[in-house]
Amino acid sequence: MWRALRRQGVLGINRRNACYTLAANDRSLFPLVDDKLETKRLCIEAGIPVPRLLAEARLHVEARGLPEALRNVESFVLKPARGAMGNGILVIHADGKGGFLRGERLVSPEDLVYHAAGIISGLYSLAGHHDVALVEECLQTHILLAPLSAGGVPDVRVIVYRGIPVMAMTRLPTERSGGRANLHQGAIGAGIDLASGRTLFAVHKNRSIVRHPDSDQPLVDVPIPEFERVLEIAVRATDRTGLGYIGADMVVDAVRGPVILELNARPGLAIQLANRAGLRPRLDAVDRALGAPDTAWQQALPVAERVAMGQAFSSRSAA
Amino acid sequence: MSRSVLVTGFLFLAAGLGLFAAKVWVYDIPLVPADTPGPWQVELRIHVRGDGKKGSVRALLPAGSQEQLVFDERSSSDRLSFSIREHGGNRVGVWTGWLEDIHEVVYQFRIQSGELVVEIPQQTDPSQPTRALRKRYTQPTSELPSTSADVKEVLEELDLPSPDDLLGRVRKIFAFVVHEIDAVNGAGSDALLTLARREGSDEGKERLLITLLRGAGIPARVVRGLELRDGAAPEPRLWAEANLRGVWVPLSAVQDFFARRPGGFVELGRGEQPLVEATGVRAVGHRYLALREPLRPDEIASLLAPDNPILARLSLYRLPVDSQAALRVLLLLPLGALTVALFRNLIGIPTYGTFMPVLIALSLREFSLTLGLALVGVVTALAVVARSGLERLRLLMVPRLSILLCIVVLFVTSMALAAESSMLPDFFAGVVFPIVILTMLVERIYITAAEEGLQEALARGLWSVGVAAVVHPLLRSPNASYLMFSFPELVVAIMGLLVWIGGYTGYRLADLVRFRGLARPPLGEGPG
Repeated sequence: MWRALRRQGVLGINRRNACYTLAANDRSLFPLVDDKLETKRLCIEAGIPVPRLLAEARLHVEARGLPEALRNVESFVLKPARGAMGNGILVIHADGKGGFLRGERLVSPEDLVYHAAGIISGLYSLAGHHDVALVEECLQTHILLAPLSAGGVPDVRVIVYRGIPVMAMTRLPTERSGGRANLHQGAIGAGIDLASGRTLFAVHKNRSIVRHPDSDQPLVDVPIPEFERVLEIAVRATDRTGLGYIGADMVVDAVRGPVILELNARPGLAIQLANRAGLRPRLDAVDRALGAPDTAWQQALPVAERVAMGQAFSSRSAA
Repeated sequence: MSRSVLVTGFLFLAAGLGLFAAKVWVYDIPLVPADTPGPWQVELRIHVRGDGKKGSVRALLPAGSQEQLVFDERSSSDRLSFSIREHGGNRVGVWTGWLEDIHEVVYQFRIQSGELVVEIPQQTDPSQPTRALRKRYTQPTSELPSTSADVKEVLEELDLPSPDDLLGRVRKIFAFVVHEIDAVNGAGSDALLTLARREGSDEGKERLLITLLRGAGIPARVVRGLELRDGAAPEPRLWAEANLRGVWVPLSAVQDFFARRPGGFVELGRGEQPLVEATGVRAVGHRYLALREPLRPDEIASLLAPDNPILARLSLYRLPVDSQAALRVLLLLPLGALTVALFRNLIGIPTYGTFMPVLIALSLREFSLTLGLALVGVVTALAVVARSGLERLRLLMVPRLSILLCIVVLFVTSMALAAESSMLPDFFAGVVFPIVILTMLVERIYITAAEEGLQEALARGLWSVGVAAVVHPLLRSPNASYLMFSFPELVVAIMGLLVWIGGYTGYRLADLVRFRGLARPPLGEGPG
């Protein structure tokens, strides 16, 4: 088992922590990605599309004003600026009569304030510190991906190592995951071929599947819309952070195209399952191409060239 | 694992294990504690408050004897000079100097106290100066009024056997005091008061015994000392000695011994001299502390003073008793941390919080594992239910956590009450229950249950408890405690192991399970 995993180049948690998240990511840069407001600012400066910020509440007083401010918004997402693993995220739609709906359930204005207050108190933040409640526009699932997702917006995660995209997957919400796109909450993960932008395999609850359990749509060989652009944005966003090993979470919006949702300095390893491939051959290929890890990770290479490199590395390892 | 990690870990391990090995093989420090009960380490702490006058503090010190092996005596006192004097046949420690404000005097000794068995001779040893002895130890004193009318009256009523039957006389008086006088806490310690009321304090009963013996013409005297008890402070005691045909025989109407004094008693002195007294001071207070050591005296000697001055200086056995007790627990924590590191980084078990399992295990040290875990389980389950009730009120986090804390405190309190009224009276005595840890555990379980499902929350809770269950016996083991306390350099060795674990970048056991699907070669399906 051990040898087989090694042969496949599967990256384990210890190695990820020691050699990638600890070695490539300067701790002082973590706040840039742990705080979604900070990430948003960074991306806007670089002209990278992000979901529009509709409101923010830093104080409990401000939380109380949220329902009034959002009364006429058709749909929005309430989330913590420093949340982890998709915790504390609330997706709300207007019911057309001035009320709020979460899925099918009516949410009272008090519920909304309470949730925002919980966020501000640090309930969902990484270390339990004081946090900011954000309200963002609700992104629309792209028409090509709509059949594949139930009750939520699918996102695309790209692992970017030293400025080069190495692996990608799309996370498709299911009814079981309650519209959330986290694999351990029951979402489907589908690996994406970097070169073609089409899904390769799909896993659900650690098991390989070929059809969506809710809609029975095929999950394999589905094209991800504007995938070249997805990779480009991921690379440009990580360039701005100065971090060497990052998971960029994006959504391909029906109207605006790919937007950066958040960046993650400790991306999970489940992406290997969705791609049925280990990360190490690709990471090693990047290290070989760019030289020793202690040289400047950020290369003067144009973004397009780096995307091409990543595509080449991924197809070589697949061969 | 990188070379520098390998080397650093190795250096730590080598340093720790090297010193350990040297202590074991060169200086003969035993690896495991002896299974026979060892000597006691006793500490007397005296505090005096003076107002600038010259004064002195006196305390009775133990003298060595066949049954009472005293060694490793040490005194420390700030700004006072110390000497040992002979006074009235007793060994007295005297600290003198200008008593300004508050002074602390500490006197420590180690003592092996065995059973004292005295053979009462059939005939009087003619070489004994019985006459002078009799004169000195039968005459009335203010504390032992052996010639008072009440004493005479009782002795007549007792109808003692003839003076030839010496043992019979003593036994009759002894039986009278044991059976006819009630021991009442807080009752007088005066012999005559005790006799008149037929009840008295422990001291009153012993004094009455001595007074009656003296009244019957049998030489008797007061002995002062301590009773050493496991898990409790030493109790100052007073008992009697009667001279039967030239031999001093210990007896106590309270402890109920006659010619055979059990082990665990420390003899500090004879006569009416108090255990601790002071002159030229405003106030004086004292207390005794004791700790039993799981070692033979010669082993302690090797630990105390290995043939190496540096090792001798570094021996933790020289520290004050209460810091020793704290350190014995503290030094076990690295072992617990090592266990957690093994579970998390090599096996990959998810737990709540990094050290929560260790802290849970530590706080359950006083309980058996099943009882302790049942306790944590019940408190946590109830509190999680209460937490879901709280959810409706929509409170902010800090006050909500604080309410949860109050609920946990109330649960623990009511469990203590329930325990008191039912099975285990001493249930919560001296246990600092990890209230805050439990509160955080409850909150985390609740959040995890809400966010990731009850199954995940329970699984992580069970894993945490599982790791705690592994750590718990380690923290309770007397051998582990002895080992870490006698060889604190092992902490350095543990650091070496932790360096290695920290530099281990191979797979965790959990990785192997999680990615087992990838172990099979790719099936070659799908495009690209």
